[in-house]
Amino acid sequence: MTATGRRAVTVLSGFLGSGKTTLLRRYLAGHGAGVAVIINEFGAVGVDHHLVRMVEEQPVLLRGGCVCCTRREDLVRALRDLLDLEQSGALPPISHVMIETSGIADPVPVLFTIGTDPVLQHHFAPASVVVTLDALNAAGQVERQPDVRKQIIAADWVVVTKADLAPFETVSRCRMRVRQLNPTARITVSRLGDGSDALAPAQGTVRGLPPDGDAPGAPHAETAAPHGEVQSIALGFSAPLDWSAFGVWLGMLLQARGPDVLRIKGLLDIGEAGPVVMNVAQHVVHPPEHLTAWPADADCSYLVFITRGIDPACIADSLETFQRAGGRTGLSVRELA
Amino acid sequence: MCVLCGQMFTEIHWSERLLDPETVSRGAGETIRRQGRHARTRLLGKVLAHYGLDVSDDWSAMNYVVGNRKGTQQVVGSVAELWPTAAKMAGRALDPLDPALLQRLRAEPEA
Repeated sequence: MTATGRRAVTVLSGFLGSGKTTLLRRYLAGHGAGVAVIINEFGAVGVDHHLVRMVEEQPVLLRGGCVCCTRREDLVRALRDLLDLEQSGALPPISHVMIETSGIADPVPVLFTIGTDPVLQHHFAPASVVVTLDALNAAGQVERQPDVRKQIIAADWVVVTKADLAPFETVSRCRMRVRQLNPTARITVSRLGDGSDALAPAQGTVRGLPPDGDAPGAPHAETAAPHGEVQSIALGFSAPLDWSAFGVWLGMLLQARGPDVLRIKGLLDIGEAGPVVMNVAQHVVHPPEHLTAWPADADCSYLVFITRGIDPACIADSLETFQRAGGRTGLSVRELA
Repeated sequence: MCVLCGQMFTEIHWSERLLDPETVSRGAGETIRRQGRHARTRLLGKVLAHYGLDVSDDWSAMNYVVGNRKGTQQVVGSVAELWPTAAKMAGRALDPLDPALLQRLRAEPEA
């Protein structure tokens, strides 16, 4: 369960053969109680668990919507069904739902579906998106498969699998590729199927926090060369932000440039005791989470933007101008170096 | 639906939700909501002026009323609806990265 009493939802994604099911089986072996699993009809062979639901992925593109505004009708039915069975006493209490997507599925519509369905949004809350990436085949898949790049950018946590089968340099390059695409993601290198703790819902509370061992937004030496047209920038602020002005600015930015704003993640100081956790995947804004105190491993306000074809300096300039117009006249926005 | 005013709420935009649920139990929720609303509408007015539009709150401070210089007005329920409606009324995309808009905002008297 999340702090708001909703059932935590972990989305497990990853390309075909990247080790999703192995990771899921390992996790269920140790944490099966209260976990419901939704898998696509072609996947999860051998998942032996009492709360498994099979779905046929049925994305429905909403009228006028972009690709991320796709409603997964199959998930709506499966999750409502789970809720009905639980509330009627036919199933034990569910605290955590694991959704394993097919290898080519985009995780963002799953988040969109849970966040916008009038019933589901009150009972389920996205905890994290975990993506598996096969170290042996990552290089080719990332270059050739747009679906793989999309999954990595949407990830809160990337588990690099099959590291026991790949040379050290290959695993290193794989990590570097992930960093280039998504500097906000945590990375676990998995050997012999370990690393399944990434699926635990408790990790959801750190969705907005920087990856392990990093200062907020600090660039990695290995991210110096951005991947193709995808760019990222980490911004810091000289003073607390004005929340109303930030809402106006971000709403307008996503409306105008949504398809090219691939990811926004960070912690915002808005002048209260604790920060606000921001997590945006394309158009889908997770309800900002208010923390009552600053986490021990993060003490300053920052936002990371992953964009396509947008000059990162323009983002900093625009955000600063909107903040000043909204009353934060002395606030400056700087790129974190 | 609010039983007093008949207002139908379908979804509260993320930027308009109270971030701290405790404020509701302390009874300060409505005051904080209205303060945030006022600040938001004021900034929206500055932005939309660049496109020849204006914006105000309706009587309940739950909807926005967007107008153009021809006197056309449209009521929208949230900022999520406001942007596409305003873009349609302005006849062009509203881009927060537009240098001309940013120049205008910088030239505004300080809030």
